[in-house]
Amino acid sequence: MADAPHQAPAIAVHHLVKRYGDATAVNGISFAVERGDFFGFLGPNGAGKTTTINAIVGLARVDGGRIEVFGRDVSTAWRKARRLIGLAPQEYNFDRYLRVREILFYQAGYYGLRPRDVTTRVDALLERFGLSAKADAFVAQLSGGMKRRLTLARALVHDPQIVILDEPTAGVDVELRLELWETLRALRREGKTIVLTTHYIEEAEALCERIGIIESGRMVALETTEGLLRSHARDELTITLAHPLQAPPPMLAHFSARLDPENACRLRFERLSPLQLSEALALLGREGIDVEAVNTERATLQDVFLALTGRGAR
Amino acid sequence: MNFVGLWTLIKREMKRSFQIINQVIWPPIISTLLYVFVFGLALGSRIKGIQGVSYAQFLLPGLVMMQVIDGAYGESSSSIFQARFTYAIQEMLVAPMSAGEIVFGYVFGSVLRTFLIANAIMVLGVLLLHTTPTSWGLYVAVLVLVAVLFASLGIIFGLMAEKYDNIAVLTTFAITPLVFVGGVFTSIHLLPPVVAHLSLLNPIFYTIDAFRYSYTGQSDVGLAISLPVVGAMTAAAYAIAYAMVRAGYKLRT
Repeated sequence: MADAPHQAPAIAVHHLVKRYGDATAVNGISFAVERGDFFGFLGPNGAGKTTTINAIVGLARVDGGRIEVFGRDVSTAWRKARRLIGLAPQEYNFDRYLRVREILFYQAGYYGLRPRDVTTRVDALLERFGLSAKADAFVAQLSGGMKRRLTLARALVHDPQIVILDEPTAGVDVELRLELWETLRALRREGKTIVLTTHYIEEAEALCERIGIIESGRMVALETTEGLLRSHARDELTITLAHPLQAPPPMLAHFSARLDPENACRLRFERLSPLQLSEALALLGREGIDVEAVNTERATLQDVFLALTGRGAR
Repeated sequence: MNFVGLWTLIKREMKRSFQIINQVIWPPIISTLLYVFVFGLALGSRIKGIQGVSYAQFLLPGLVMMQVIDGAYGESSSSIFQARFTYAIQEMLVAPMSAGEIVFGYVFGSVLRTFLIANAIMVLGVLLLHTTPTSWGLYVAVLVLVAVLFASLGIIFGLMAEKYDNIAVLTTFAITPLVFVGGVFTSIHLLPPVVAHLSLLNPIFYTIDAFRYSYTGQSDVGLAISLPVVGAMTAAAYAIAYAMVRAGYKLRT
């Protein structure tokens, strides 16, 4: 990394355009992933996430715009740019003629690394991902979870600066998902820049520091996870009353109180500070309205996603 | 230049060949042995010599070419098609490997496989028919040119194919018929004049004619014609294969 241009972001995408025939899959999106960032790329199926990833790693030819990896143009300085990226694709695309250990050695070879230079690293990756016992097995003999772990080990074999994971936990059980999350957090602590596409919103919320939401080939949001939650979703507070009301009490009008249309015992509020909450409770008490419970519901990325895309992730 | 990447691909191709040795290496050697026994030794004993050698000795270089053509095309076409079909080729496409390195790696892998087959048949010729190439330089040169030619065609058709069956189209409807009428079994001088003239339009005829010269020192049309024709076809096929991989044809979306 000594010769990498200073201060250049890990990934910079400028006005990227990708068309398939008459359809525009990616329509002029721009974004940057800073060094050491954990970036989540969200969007419904067919929104253009994988196409964008493929353009970054060289699997898709672009029709417009420019992509730089640590300041290096991926179309002109492609050799240097590709050495900096490790891709864990969504589909299992292993060489079926190779055994598990060989898959790692051969992948390192394609990146220009001789077997003797990566023996220690290959053994360490097999150990780290719990594949040592299966080192001499063919991929067909691995379980789904092992294949997923091998995908990640292969992406890391040439020690890339950036790890791009396309739907890394699609179709895996909860236990493995949590294990993979922990691995990704560890990679982040080791200084890797991580880019993740996912349609599991809670995954992005749990892991990512910054989020880009893509919809129909356009970037509809690009912010820190906290920023997105602050600006596009609100925590909601509910006061449950002992008896139903006909309408929200007039003295709570300046708190924008709403009566839950499905349950007339519930008063809903957005952005109520603790001081405002005490005041509201005092006003209700003064009017003789009995309160049974107070609950807060934290806004989630799912709410943001729905607000921005108007649909679920799938 | 990514030499380690290139060598890795060549190693991978050889590894694949040896993993399916009973499909791709033993069959051409055994079928050649059978051709030599049935056509060369049994029936051939009733045929008087051609180009100054026994019929079996005349037949052998043609059989070598037949297996080289089949082996080179089969290796690269099926390997690249499978790699596309299983997306395993993406391992290379995301790595710092150029189109030139990828094409050279596949072609070299084919050349090595066909060298193994051709030399095994050549050794059979020494042991059974007491015939050896008279020009080793030409033997190697034509072998390499023809293997590169058909390995390149294999890449072209392996890229174009939408399903495995498509790969067989060239073999079934072009290569096999053209090989059989291209001078493997007979000299064009023994054919009716019209057929002999038509044979000159058969590109495979020139590969067999040039290769046979390395054994018998004789050629139907002369080395000065057959060798440049083979060289030109090889250069053209390699250039097309390279251009397709460089353009990312059916490799990059």
